[in-house]
Amino acid sequence: MTSSPAGGKEEKSLVKMAGVHKWFGKVHALKGVDFEVRHSEIVGLVGDNGAGKSTLIKVLSGYHLADKGEINFEGKRVNITSSLDARKLGIETVYQEQALAPNMSISRNIFMGRELVRSLGFMDKKAMDGGSMEALKSIGLHLRSPDALIAMLSGGERQGVAIARVLHFKAKLVILDEPTIALSVKEAQQVLEFIKQLRKEGISVVFITHNLYHVFPSADRFVVLTRGEKIADVEKKGTSIDELAELIVKPPSHN
Amino acid sequence: MRPSPNQKGQKVKPDLRKDSKLRFVKNFFTYRSSSIFLVFIGLILFFTFFSQHRFTRHANIEVLLALGPEFSIVALGVGMLMISGEFDLSVGSILVFCSFIFIRLFEIKMNLFLAGGITLGAGALLGFLNGLITTKAHIPSFITTLGTMMLWRGMTLILSQGFTRPFNPEVVPLLSSILTGKIGGILPVQVVWFGVFGLILGVVLHFHKFGNWVYATGDNKEAARAMGINTDRVKTICFMIVGILCAFVAVMQIVRVSTFSSRAGDGWELKAIAASVVGGTSLMGGIGSMVGIFLGALTISVIENGLVVSRIPYFWTYIVFGLVIISSVVSSLYLERRKLRGG
Repeated sequence: MTSSPAGGKEEKSLVKMAGVHKWFGKVHALKGVDFEVRHSEIVGLVGDNGAGKSTLIKVLSGYHLADKGEINFEGKRVNITSSLDARKLGIETVYQEQALAPNMSISRNIFMGRELVRSLGFMDKKAMDGGSMEALKSIGLHLRSPDALIAMLSGGERQGVAIARVLHFKAKLVILDEPTIALSVKEAQQVLEFIKQLRKEGISVVFITHNLYHVFPSADRFVVLTRGEKIADVEKKGTSIDELAELIVKPPSHN
Repeated sequence: MRPSPNQKGQKVKPDLRKDSKLRFVKNFFTYRSSSIFLVFIGLILFFTFFSQHRFTRHANIEVLLALGPEFSIVALGVGMLMISGEFDLSVGSILVFCSFIFIRLFEIKMNLFLAGGITLGAGALLGFLNGLITTKAHIPSFITTLGTMMLWRGMTLILSQGFTRPFNPEVVPLLSSILTGKIGGILPVQVVWFGVFGLILGVVLHFHKFGNWVYATGDNKEAARAMGINTDRVKTICFMIVGILCAFVAVMQIVRVSTFSSRAGDGWELKAIAASVVGGTSLMGGIGSMVGIFLGALTISVIENGLVVSRIPYFWTYIVFGLVIISSVVSSLYLERRKLRGG
């Protein structure tokens, strides 16, 4: 779905963050982190609570401003100062609880804030319904009606709707913040399928989680943060779940 | 993967077609506003019998259609505001303050259409203040408007010294026929205004993108914000709509009764919330419909009128209000739970 830009061939990475620092008062939350996501790649961003995963991602999605460091997107230096900036670049974030309005229909949720309108701002319901069903189908989620309320869906289906939304709006990079945290095993499996579907569509994914068992089978590469520092950046081939688990709990060594 | 949903679709359809009447009844009850519709019809039947048909007499219907809309128009705005997740307890006070502005402009012999326009502007401004304080200072609107309720009522009492002031609608007959005339000599024009406002707000709420923003803001403010909706602005606009409707009714009421009274709009704030809740609007925001709010507002007006013509002492009004509020909310929640369970 995403047209890979001509410049993308020379520049292998979609996003490259270099030397990112972030302080919250006296707390040094990110200590010069380098972070890279390549085209059509699923990166598992793992680490314990307070390791700086969310902070790093919030810098990338425009929620926080980095105190130092630079971000390159598709080979160009960019300034992301708001979530709107991020969205314009094609960076979409899916938060666990903030993504959907439970008492609204699927199609109204998918087009929330970006309604398709005919004239004078009146919504084009047909186009919105059609677009919703198409987006859901493209990640392999078959729901009966675009008018069903989110509250009537299972947790996995809800994540599916949120993921279909970013797909529909042609995101290039999707950040998923703990997408499987409140789900049953079966539902989590379903969400992991959606994520693989995103990669097939040529979309890069950053998958933040505690749960190595969820992220390991689907991710291509793993980045481990501990206390605001990147302590590992490994391809799946070169590591195992046990090794990653050890890295997460190990304090950063300064050598 | 593809054939399975199709098979399902084919399986489900004929089953439902078999008993299409049953399906209609079932669909009817999946709407939150259906319970209020039944309550509304029930009340009309009840009052028709208990008033020995005084309720349905021509003169009474006329009174009902002329007086009821004044409160009901305000309730429409309050309902929409509640869907966006906020309250307005200051409607009665905005109304009386706007009444005072209008009567003062009348006293200095300003053109009444211009005066009406200024009054509407004042209503919008008071609504804007409610919205500004609520969204910028992050104060619950319950508190904000509790404050402005006392503030504007008190201001009006100080400025008017609590005296009534005369208004002469014959100065501009056109204005009084626009606001309080009778179409064809029978139908009070107020009820037409009620219908027009209900229609406009209903269309905006259900078919315009702003309506989608209102629901999203009330249902999940964080999600709406993350999707780029300016929820503060949405709420402030809803407050302003309430303010404008209050100002409109203030002018309408003065023209009808030919008097300014510092007690205008007294007690409407809770009645307006009651009307919205009876009509299926959630106190938490995000749930409700204009049809429900419309019927809820009508229901409150019908109860007030019906009790009078049934010669039931006025003090019973509140007991009936209480029973209707509780029973309609309980029944709509019951229907909704069944809907969610049944899928």
